[in-house]
Amino acid sequence: MTPVTRDLVVELVHVGKWYGAFHALRDVSLGVARGETVAICGPSGSGKSTLIRCVNGLERHQEGEIRVAGTALGSDGSGVEEVRRRTGMVFQSFNLFPHLSVLDNLTLGPIYAAGEAADRAGRRALALLDRVGIADQAAKFPGQLSGGQQQRVAIARALMREPEVMLFDEPTSSLDPERVQEVLAVMEELAAGGMTMLVVTHEMGFIRRIADLVVFMDQGEVVEAAPPALFFAQTHTERARAFLGRVMHL
Amino acid sequence: MATGTAACRSFAIAGTGAIRPPPPARRGTLGWLRANLFATPLDGAVTLALAAAIAWLAPKALAWAVLDAVWWAPDGRACRDAAGACWAVITEKHRLILFGTYPYAEQWRGALVVLLFVAMLAASAGPWLAARAKLWGWAATALAILVLMLGGVPGLEPVGTHLWGGLPLTIVIFIGTVAGGMPLAVLLALARQSELPILRALAVGVIEVVRGLPLLAVLFVASLIFPLFVPVELQIDKLLRAEIGMIIFFGAYAAEIVRGGLQAVAAGQREAAAALGLGYWPRTRLVVLPQALATVVPPLLGDVIRAFKNTTYVAILGLFDVLGATKVALDDPAWSRHAAEAYLFIFLLYLVFCLAFSRWGMAVERRLARRRRG
Ligand SMILES: Nc1ncnc2c1ncn2[C@@H]1O[C@H](COP(=O)(O)OP(=O)(O)OP(=O)(O)O)[C@@H](O)[C@H]1O
Ligand SMILES: [Mg+2]
Repeated sequence: MTPVTRDLVVELVHVGKWYGAFHALRDVSLGVARGETVAICGPSGSGKSTLIRCVNGLERHQEGEIRVAGTALGSDGSGVEEVRRRTGMVFQSFNLFPHLSVLDNLTLGPIYAAGEAADRAGRRALALLDRVGIADQAAKFPGQLSGGQQQRVAIARALMREPEVMLFDEPTSSLDPERVQEVLAVMEELAAGGMTMLVVTHEMGFIRRIADLVVFMDQGEVVEAAPPALFFAQTHTERARAFLGRVMHL
Repeated sequence: MATGTAACRSFAIAGTGAIRPPPPARRGTLGWLRANLFATPLDGAVTLALAAAIAWLAPKALAWAVLDAVWWAPDGRACRDAAGACWAVITEKHRLILFGTYPYAEQWRGALVVLLFVAMLAASAGPWLAARAKLWGWAATALAILVLMLGGVPGLEPVGTHLWGGLPLTIVIFIGTVAGGMPLAVLLALARQSELPILRALAVGVIEVVRGLPLLAVLFVASLIFPLFVPVELQIDKLLRAEIGMIIFFGAYAAEIVRGGLQAVAAGQREAAAALGLGYWPRTRLVVLPQALATVVPPLLGDVIRAFKNTTYVAILGLFDVLGATKVALDDPAWSRHAAEAYLFIFLLYLVFCLAFSRWGMAVERRLARRRRG
């Protein structure tokens, strides 16, 4: 059952998670192969955030196994430092540090968590900001940037540790429509560059172009999983059809 | 005019206005008076009543405090038949009031302490020093003050803490209270939010008990009861005991303020820091506390000002801060009739310091607000 030959960067096997008595993740198994992009979609409250947050230990799972880049993440929190060292995360609400300049937002982690020299971290940060198209904003504070710019800073910040996998939790959901594309463009470039990505998103155009696999979740369980072409052509379940009907008519 | 259809009664009309500067505000002295003092009939009445009271009082106050005042009276006799204030009590007794029982020949050291404190306060008030520089500056100032007061290094005669008094003592207690109390407050606030139930319970216990006691009671416990339970060899000096009491009292109050600041930091901030691989202490120090403390500068400063005023309570333990020393100075029968003038002087002294603190707080607040807005 467990595939061992596919070079999986993220691997979840029969994962279960409860909030009190509420069963939030039910027997979730999925793998993200190196260099591939997996998109997760599903109705609100279906457990998408819970799942992605379990992958880097922001939430603890109670059942099953999670492995990230070869490190097992225990349900007791063991291995969490190692896992976080190899993952970058981007949040819906950016979560930039408002009291630090853009440049300091990027270098904080490398300097204080990885012990990198400040000048080296600064050089890498500028290069990454250039890559996401905002090198000229390095000295500003997050509050002075547009939402799209902030999210691109957040992506650059997550890339600073040269992660093996990037986790995105609805990265464009709190952006104005005209800002969504600039963030998606950065993500597409990342995918094209061979980054492994796990993305919670409802951007169907992005999923169609970029994702290798679409995972549809509902009520804490994986309901369907298929490559986008197949997924959009023929959904097997009534739940997925209903969901697609809703988001496609947005 | 009717741009809507028959079914819709709402409407909007396309404007034709060009971009113009705002209409002129009423300016000049008359405009200001009208707007600020006579806006309504009630305003006008209040203004007139206050003006009358000031007109009646001001000449009397001026005569008492300046025109009929005695500034110089070596033995106090010149004051006896003066109609005005006897400021001579301060000219005569200022050494005792300002420095208490500190050895007379060494009082220049106390003066230097006051000077250092005021200079550092002024240096911290503006935007010209980075936060880190300020912190180191204060640490160095505190150390210098301690060395100056204690002596015992080459060139400085040792002076026991039982001889300390006046304004330098007030400053020493104040700096000690804030320097020890702030870290305690932060630790208590963090413990109160800890995931460990024991730590949480301990913090809640300390905070609630101390906040339920008057400062005097805390000082008595620290100073009188504490020694009963500690072996004689470990008995520490009176000033240090008072200081410990002040620190705990300050810490318990400020902890609740800091906790409010911690709660104002979005959960996403901690998560983002954790996702970057920062452990509990680095993320608390670098991400959470800077934001938490920035939001509570005004109330924290209120506690700092209160700590300055609370130094007067140590008089109860036989330590002569500037107020205590003034009381001692007034024990002199030649001057005891002029307590009002002496206390007025102390009043002004406290007012100047506390106003300086609150101006400082306002400046910090403005600076933080500007940064937040970008
Ligand atoms: N900390 C928590 N405590 C209790 N219940 C929670 C907690 N976090 C999430 N839940 C519940 O778990 C379920 C899944 O939440 P989750 O945030 O993973 O959903 P989601 O798919 O990300 O939804 P959305 O699209 O709205 O972001 C929801 O019913 C939610 O109410
Ligand atoms: Mg979510």
